[in-house]
Amino acid sequence: MSMFRPKKMDIGCYVNKWVMRDNAKRKAFEAAEPERQALRYIIANTTLPQRTRAIAQLQLTQMHAYTRPTQIKNRCTMGGIGRSVLRAFKISRYNFRMQALAGNLPGVKKASW
Amino acid sequence: MSVPRARLLDLLKARCELFSTTFNPEGIRTGNKILRQRLKGPALASYYPPKLWSMRDFQDAFKDLHLLTDNEPELDRLDHIRRLKQRGKGASAGSAKNKKKKK
Repeated sequence: MSMFRPKKMDIGCYVNKWVMRDNAKRKAFEAAEPERQALRYIIANTTLPQRTRAIAQLQLTQMHAYTRPTQIKNRCTMGGIGRSVLRAFKISRYNFRMQALAGNLPGVKKASW
Repeated sequence: MSVPRARLLDLLKARCELFSTTFNPEGIRTGNKILRQRLKGPALASYYPPKLWSMRDFQDAFKDLHLLTDNEPELDRLDHIRRLKQRGKGASAGSAKNKKKKK
């Protein structure tokens, strides 16, 4: 979905096609979020006529998949991996281990008990 | 000792006026909870760190001062291409033309 992709590369971390795709989805969601919330408000408001709400439901379901927040997946900023990414560090578990052992993550040290 | 419902509603109304909340005794769903939500797009869109600068930006920044800047990877690349061409293994003249056409 190249129309959602930024024209110029705007991310400075590790980049592969999945990271680019995820970044495009994030940008698309950010742009479409007010519209999505407006439609969600119309749908949730039971004081509005049923027809208006049904139309809003249709419009929301027919929006592009890239504008959907559930499409967004946190990926590793060092390797692009989508699995077992630590939210606080934005890196995958293996990269986390490597960086932590190298002392690159402030406040992280190996525990043993 | 039971309090009539109308009196309780009056109390509720007064309370709503006082604390400036919506008076909605039937609990009708007005969708206000969606309007209350904060937008999370900016936080999600800034997940990946932004690109700070590229070699091109660096060179452009020093252009006015007429300082020489070396882009070592670029020089290496040109050197590699020069050597390929010496051996007759470079890209053909046609490929460069095709690239321009595509743009």
